[in-house]
Amino acid sequence: MKSDGLAIELRGLRKVYTRGKKTTVALDGLDLEVRRGEVFGLLGQNGAGKTTTVEICEGLTQQTAGEARILGRCWRTGMDQEIRARIGVCLQETRFFEKQTVRETLQLFAACQGRGCSVDDALALVSLQEKADARQSQLSGGQRQRLAVALAMLGEPELLFLDEPTTGLDPQSRRQLWDVLRAYQRRGSTVLLTTHYMEEAQVLCDRIGIVDHGKLIALGSPQELIRSLGADTVVEFSVGDVNALDEGAMRQLPGVQSCEIRGGKVTLTVALVHTTVPPLLAWLAQRGAELLELATRHATLEDVFVARTGRHLREEESA
Amino acid sequence: MNMPAVFAVAKLSFREFFRQPEAVFWTYGFPLLMTIVLGFTFRPAAPPLIRVAVVASADAAALCAVLAKNPRLAVAVLDAATADQSLARGRIQALVRGPSGDLTVRADPMRPDAELARLQIERALRGGDWQGPHQEAEDRPGARYIDFLVPGLVGLNLLGAGMWGIGFNLTEYRSKKLLRRLFVTPLRRSEFLLGFLLSRLTLLIPESVVILAFGMLCWDVPFRGSMVAASAILIVAALSFVGLGILVASRARTVEGVAGLMNLCQLPMWLLGGSFFSTEHLDGALGAVAAAMPLTQCNNALRDLMLEPKGLADVAYPLCFLSGFAALSFTLALRLFRWT
Repeated sequence: MKSDGLAIELRGLRKVYTRGKKTTVALDGLDLEVRRGEVFGLLGQNGAGKTTTVEICEGLTQQTAGEARILGRCWRTGMDQEIRARIGVCLQETRFFEKQTVRETLQLFAACQGRGCSVDDALALVSLQEKADARQSQLSGGQRQRLAVALAMLGEPELLFLDEPTTGLDPQSRRQLWDVLRAYQRRGSTVLLTTHYMEEAQVLCDRIGIVDHGKLIALGSPQELIRSLGADTVVEFSVGDVNALDEGAMRQLPGVQSCEIRGGKVTLTVALVHTTVPPLLAWLAQRGAELLELATRHATLEDVFVARTGRHLREEESA
Repeated sequence: MNMPAVFAVAKLSFREFFRQPEAVFWTYGFPLLMTIVLGFTFRPAAPPLIRVAVVASADAAALCAVLAKNPRLAVAVLDAATADQSLARGRIQALVRGPSGDLTVRADPMRPDAELARLQIERALRGGDWQGPHQEAEDRPGARYIDFLVPGLVGLNLLGAGMWGIGFNLTEYRSKKLLRRLFVTPLRRSEFLLGFLLSRLTLLIPESVVILAFGMLCWDVPFRGSMVAASAILIVAALSFVGLGILVASRARTVEGVAGLMNLCQLPMWLLGGSFFSTEHLDGALGAVAAAMPLTQCNNALRDLMLEPKGLADVAYPLCFLSGFAALSFTLALRLFRWT
């Protein structure tokens, strides 16, 4: 693909943080291309390097090595103002000037942006009209996040950065925000989104890159990634005594691609349910294992992540 | 009571404090440093000279000779108008007027050193054939301590409000990560800082006018010089102090850190800036330091314009000095400023 069709082009991106004698490698040679007009999701655990990647793209952080081209331009080459005028940013955590109302905040940023939609349009976009004259302290977490997204969209940017836009929101607020983003997506703008909610990535993104330990370990559309497992169904079950089971033996069962035992629960990714489940049940009966629960479902990005890294996207929640 | 928990909390709090090097420095290091500096400044030495003027007359030289015998007095002969002016500006502590048979000592009893001046003059005259002196209180508007003080307070207010108002807020916004969000917009540093500068300026000038008006209406503080020139001085002084505030806050990451830096800048000006007592007669290094302070220039210029019938041309130097200071501090701040 010609590079002028790219909104973001990252080559060998490396970022090392040094504090005293301690060095942390946040990005370890990351390559990434985001095409114009697509919604691209960066998926990964906390600390995988998602935010560092986005902050380098936003010009907030300077890479240690490698090249980052944003809309065909590099930061710190005299183009900063021009890039900033064409991007919209929603930081991972946006704090506002506390004593300002929603409308005043939007007016401030509209003035900074210098172009784009009106403050009223922005309010309507995120359904905050009723809160226009409320101060920051009177907003809920979801409303604040919607305001942060509205600020990012004010300049009608060609490229929108959203760093974990729905983290910490209740499911209803999250869905509201998804609606806002989907409406925006239809206008043909490019979006780079980071998240550790696989459902969010699956719903919103055209393509996904999985980041782990500062590297891109998988890339493709959600369907491609799930298909890459070689098995798109998951069988989950639990038995009375998990310790009596043998992972190696289960992998030998017909159609099983991978096997994971975790927290008393066994997860098998399989090609076809009907070729695996009967032999599985027979195998369990043979061992005298008492089956407590059995379920099958379609594979998700979470399964892709587990298969690639051996860990869950949100370790704290799945442990 | 769970004492281990209490100790754990104490340890936590200790660590939090000591892991903030700037907090440690401003709590322990800076006061120590100030003590050392002040100790050197006011270390035991010959007591300061009391400046006295003898009003020119036939007896003036003889009177001068008698007074000069007291080593505490620094005596000069001045014509009546200059002597009055010097008393008003705090350059002298008292003036002595002949004739020899009927001496008068004129001083403002509200000034802390007036009584001392009178006592030393009396001691010098003791045993001679001088009659008197009579005591005379300086109480004409324009020559009292209050007239000296009001311009100084205007300067001090410009300094404090200008620096704190901007430095504190900038640092707070930075530490709360509010500036990061502005940084990713096309807003330029210069635009952002100028906006801040403007908002402070529009607050500072009316504030100064209120103080001046209060002094003039309630205490009859005179305004004898050019108001246009005074307005110009107020504006460049406000710009200087706001510029200094932005400079000090250009990189500070915590409010505690910036507070320390603010004090570091302001305390010497409180002492040597000439707000409470005249520092015009200071010489040597201390005098040079005082003259290099924007507060000194602001206070002296305001006093020139309020207490003496002076105009724009008379305050050309402080006007240039303060403009230069403002331009320099703003330029430096622009270079050093960090959003994060």
